[in-house]
Amino acid sequence: MIKRSYWLLIGLLFSFSTLIADSTLKKDACVSCHIEVDEENDDEDKIVSYYKSDLHVKLGFSCADCHGGDPEAYDDEDEAMWENDTFIGVIEKEEQLEVCGKCHSNPVFMRQYSTDIKVDQVTQYLTSGHGIALENGNENVAVCSSCHGVHGILPVDDPRAPVYAKNIPKTCSKCHSDETVMFESGLPTNQFTEYEMSVHGMALLDRGDIGAPACNDCHGNHGASPPYVSNVDQICGTCHSNNKDLFQKSHLNDIFLSKGLGQCEACHGNHDIAKPTDEFLNWADESTCKPCHEDSHPAKALALSFYQTIDSLKTGLEHARKMVEKAEHKGMIVSNLLFDLDDAKKALIHTRTNIHSFNKAFVDTGAAPGFQSIQAAIIGAKESLEEVEYRKKGLFIFSLIITFFVIAIGFKINEWKKQRESASN
Amino acid sequence: MKIYEWINERVDISSIKKIALKKRVPIFYGTIWYYLGGVSLFLFMIQVFTGILLVLYYQPGAETAYESVKFIISRVEFGWLIREVHSWSANLFILFVFFHMFTVFFAKAYRKPREMTWISGMILLLLSLGFGFSGYLLPWNELAYFATKVGSDIAGAIPIIGDFALRLLRSGDEVSGATLTRFYGIHTALLPGIFTVMLGLHLILVQVQGMSVPPEIEKIPEKERKSIPFFPDFALQDAMAWLIVLNIIALLAVFFPWELGPKADPLASAPAGIRPEWYFMFMFQTLKYIPAHVLFIEGELFGILLFSIGGFIWFMVPFLDKKAHEGIRTPFWTWFGILLIIYMIVFTAWGYLT
Amino acid sequence: MSQTKRSEVKKERRSFLNTLLKTGLVAWVASVIYPVARFLIPPKMAKLNVSSIEVGLISDFPKSSSKIVRFGRKPIIVIRKESGDFKALEATCTHLDCNVQFKSETEQIWCACHNGLYDIEGKNISGPPPKPLAQFKVDIAREKIIVSQMDLS
Repeated sequence: MIKRSYWLLIGLLFSFSTLIADSTLKKDACVSCHIEVDEENDDEDKIVSYYKSDLHVKLGFSCADCHGGDPEAYDDEDEAMWENDTFIGVIEKEEQLEVCGKCHSNPVFMRQYSTDIKVDQVTQYLTSGHGIALENGNENVAVCSSCHGVHGILPVDDPRAPVYAKNIPKTCSKCHSDETVMFESGLPTNQFTEYEMSVHGMALLDRGDIGAPACNDCHGNHGASPPYVSNVDQICGTCHSNNKDLFQKSHLNDIFLSKGLGQCEACHGNHDIAKPTDEFLNWADESTCKPCHEDSHPAKALALSFYQTIDSLKTGLEHARKMVEKAEHKGMIVSNLLFDLDDAKKALIHTRTNIHSFNKAFVDTGAAPGFQSIQAAIIGAKESLEEVEYRKKGLFIFSLIITFFVIAIGFKINEWKKQRESASN
Repeated sequence: MKIYEWINERVDISSIKKIALKKRVPIFYGTIWYYLGGVSLFLFMIQVFTGILLVLYYQPGAETAYESVKFIISRVEFGWLIREVHSWSANLFILFVFFHMFTVFFAKAYRKPREMTWISGMILLLLSLGFGFSGYLLPWNELAYFATKVGSDIAGAIPIIGDFALRLLRSGDEVSGATLTRFYGIHTALLPGIFTVMLGLHLILVQVQGMSVPPEIEKIPEKERKSIPFFPDFALQDAMAWLIVLNIIALLAVFFPWELGPKADPLASAPAGIRPEWYFMFMFQTLKYIPAHVLFIEGELFGILLFSIGGFIWFMVPFLDKKAHEGIRTPFWTWFGILLIIYMIVFTAWGYLT
Repeated sequence: MSQTKRSEVKKERRSFLNTLLKTGLVAWVASVIYPVARFLIPPKMAKLNVSSIEVGLISDFPKSSSKIVRFGRKPIIVIRKESGDFKALEATCTHLDCNVQFKSETEQIWCACHNGLYDIEGKNISGPPPKPLAQFKVDIAREKIIVSQMDLS
């Protein structure tokens, strides 16, 4: 054994000198040995190479802090692992809560690293869908490592981390889009495909707006569970606070609850929330009112009046924008009018929010400034276009004068010429 | 007439009148060339006139320049017209100066005794380009800002004095509000002063030496050559040309206004398609396609060297083209001019098409 | 016969031509002078609002109140804190394009569109906004509140 370690040390010094050159790596029997094992096995999963980037290693933890064993036992494999009481080796799923929780559930310990660090992950986890299933003996569920990774765990704000906001949908979909994993639970597997196409998915994944919600923003992180019909408004309301407030105050709130409809979800859906269109309000195919309301119900008139208000704001804004653009194309300065257009656009957004009050008077009052701004922009654009005509007229008169003057000069030159000719004759 | 006599009693202006009345303009296939110098002069006068008007409202400075130009074109009555006329006339001015220069070149009008007229004209051309370069920045819009940045960078490539020249031009290491103030001073005080003196010299030389004719026409005995008096015939014809040019400028001002674009933001990244004014395009394009290293010299430096040598040769044409003084056209100089025009047109077009 | 008549016609024509010429000259001079004269008259809105704007008197702002004003192309929010101090910030939320509003009870700035929250210094503290609101300088001169661009340096 001693001999072998010697060779091992020499081998380390030569062939892996680059790896151990990193000063953050403590001299550690587990590392020195496992590098060689990895190499020998030609294992794809080179634990030790991940290990270097691991947050825990950077903070000074060693393999033994999770896996147990004796990292000082350079000379004896048995002494380092099998014969050591603390040695755990491979950490099974059900053991993870205990191993990770050893530190992460200990406020006193965690406080060394950050004063406001959370220590409720394990408690939360136990209340989650994942946690409950695990308690019931189902090992086919996500545990800490399923989301955070195993060796090479990165902090949540590292863009390479699987739990970084932008990476979360992919991370969850690893299991939730896999029918073989989901089969037992009977859960659907289309959430990711739906989410990807949704307004939130596009904002997060395509535009990289990390303010947009990923899976965890609605379902929770460690306590992941589906929101219920009764609290879906609170969850959407985290960001869409105005819509939530208006809806809660509206007469529809109680009716929805009594019928078991999710306040937001009933019209907007969940994973596949598309950018809402104004057609939701039109009394046609895409109407979100029609599934419940008969044609004879006053809801039809209300929806159509909302539709009309929004539509006339929209078409008015479009018309105003076109006129302003026309004036701009003709070289006029329209920056003041762009302001009016901005204001009108804001009023349109505002009105689309206000319809969640399901109150006609409220919606109309909110839309009024929008119409005013549209009018102001149209009048301004018209003035600009009239100015263009004025300039053309001026140019026309100026050209006439010059033409007239030039012709007169021409005649004069001619006259002089003739005069000179007759004089010389 | 009374005023004339009153002045004449005190200062002898009748001799000037005599010279003016004696002046004749030769009539031949190239008479139309004689308008080019006059139109350039007229355009310069428009520049002075509209320039003075613009100064009444313009406020130099990074915070105010763009806004004041915007104010002029949107709030001041006919402000748009004055600004458009100034911009259009500036461009036409450079165009006509180029036409003027090349017709003079091919008519070999630079030959003895008019070497000084050519040199003064070349100085006027350089000053005009200086007017263009400094005036382009004054509206402080994005395009001008970056074009100035790139343009003044070239000064930095000059060996030894490069850094100093760059700092002198920019009034600091970067194009900033200080540069704008400096360019304003150059554009409205320094250049007009020098230009007026040079222009006076140029015009006096033209008057004293009379109109030049190409060597071929000069060989015809004087009595057989046709001509018309400058006063009043040609002067009125000049006036007609000027009025037509003025009308064209008004037309361009109304139908093809120059865009102001967004305000310059030193922190923003350069927009796509920054280009200098069209008359710098051929040089810009050449510098762009010169390889990074030519022999042992840096590409940009090589370009500057090339332009300096080329410019110097062009400047010294009256002294280099000795045969011209005897009225002989050497193919070398004819081809030199033709190739120069082809090069300028091709590179300018290339610059705009890519 | 008509030597005299012919020269008379000629004279007439000449004086007619001279009148035309004079009319042309006068019309041309007038057409140039008119726009120039109009240009010289300073426009009613003679002030350029560029690097700073006046947003009103101190008395226009009760404590814990705010006002959204235009600063060039940008809307900005001018706030008078409970302490009486003024604060001016860009009013467009850094998340999307909504205008923010001042919440006087907590002295915070809030964007209603996606519930973004900034502290009174404009720092984003919760919700989707990715960065703080841009700051503007507030000066008070003779009871007047003047908002200006922050120096870049």
